[in-house]
Amino acid sequence: MFLAALIPTAHREVSPDATLVNRLLQKDVSAFEQLYDRHSRPIYSLVLRILQQTGTSEEVVQDVFLHLWRNAAQYDVSRGPFVPWLFTLARNRALDTLRLKSERQRRREDQTKELPPIVSVPQYEQQFDEKRRAEKVRTLMASLRPQQKKAIELAYFEGMSHSEIAAALQEPLGTVKSWIRNGLMRLKEELQATT
Amino acid sequence: MSECAKFGEMLEAYALGALDAPERAALEAHLATGCSDCAKALAEGRWLVSQLAYLASEAAPSDTLKGRLLQTVRAEAQSAGTSTAPKSAIPFWMWAGVAALLVVTIYSGWNAQRLQRDIQDTNQKAAAILQQRRDLEAQLEAAKRAATIVTDPASVKIALASTDLQTPPLEAAWHSQLGIVLTGQKTPVPPGNRVLQLWLIPKAPGGKPVPSLTIRPDADGKFVLLVANPPELMAQTKALAITEEPEGGSPQPTTAPRWVGGIS
Repeated sequence: MFLAALIPTAHREVSPDATLVNRLLQKDVSAFEQLYDRHSRPIYSLVLRILQQTGTSEEVVQDVFLHLWRNAAQYDVSRGPFVPWLFTLARNRALDTLRLKSERQRRREDQTKELPPIVSVPQYEQQFDEKRRAEKVRTLMASLRPQQKKAIELAYFEGMSHSEIAAALQEPLGTVKSWIRNGLMRLKEELQATT
Repeated sequence: MSECAKFGEMLEAYALGALDAPERAALEAHLATGCSDCAKALAEGRWLVSQLAYLASEAAPSDTLKGRLLQTVRAEAQSAGTSTAPKSAIPFWMWAGVAALLVVTIYSGWNAQRLQRDIQDTNQKAAAILQQRRDLEAQLEAAKRAATIVTDPASVKIALASTDLQTPPLEAAWHSQLGIVLTGQKTPVPPGNRVLQLWLIPKAPGGKPVPSLTIRPDADGKFVLLVANPPELMAQTKALAITEEPEGGSPQPTTAPRWVGGIS
């Protein structure tokens, strides 16, 4: 189970992000500014990749950070690391903006109810800094077959389901499922292998 | 396969939001039973999926966004602070002054936001025009390169004969430094979204066809395909071949060649 049993949750150090989020509960503007400076670029990059429009993307990023400011108590450090939590929040908001009142929107809403999700960092990944991790993810995805990479991108950046991707790529449903699962498994193995 | 093993294979796709409704409902029903192994695996799957965010090209929001956000949070922080502070004995006329100042501030803020939006719109239009110009320059550069390849005496001309008598042949020119140009006239257009894909057949015995670019002829059957960086050297290639493939191309040919031409 993904080395879950080896995760030393009891002795994990409190991250700078967790400390800053805790200060938001006291309405500490300086803590908010530091969190914004640390994470606004990757969050904006993600949202812009989904929405493809700078104006709308900035509105969504503003919405995400104001949500964090007003609902800092929703983030619980014991439920997982901060950055994936923020990525998930931003992705859901961007996909909601992209497709209102569609089947995909309904699916997103189902998942939005679960926020903040429980996210566990595998032990092997805790040592990587953000830049190295980004390089590894990009290198691995570039090594996938173009159609396989496209299938994963359609799911992540456009919120498509397996069957929607199969229709878009004109490929059998089983093939698309295998591409996505095998691609994610390769990403997992790659992160494990280079620890 | 145990129930956990069956659902375990769906967890990453669920975290990705890619499961279709029936599979999603079945998995959620299983998670609702309180299966701790699957819950742990799902939490890690969510982390894995969140790493895909790094595939987005790096970009930075405008400085004005930070300014707007800080203005809002400072106002809210002040409001939260004053809501718990003891009441002060401020005279009514002073409140009237504060209210007037607030009206002016709100108007100024609204006006600044409107101007900001105008500036953003103008910047977006300028960026679009610049991108259009870059695209045109790239097209012009590609056209020049293709013309040089076709006319340069150093290029090797390759005739690709059709495997059936009714279909016209294709022509290719390969320049060792500038690449390959493949042209066709009255070429049958593949059905649906299917495309024509170029393959380089290696000289090495048993060597597999090396995939190259794809193209769809226009309604008249015309096309010009420029391969600026062929995946193999001419000296290591004995022939060019064209097959019909699904949109986006294939890593290996899935149909028999429609055209083949040897390199002399």
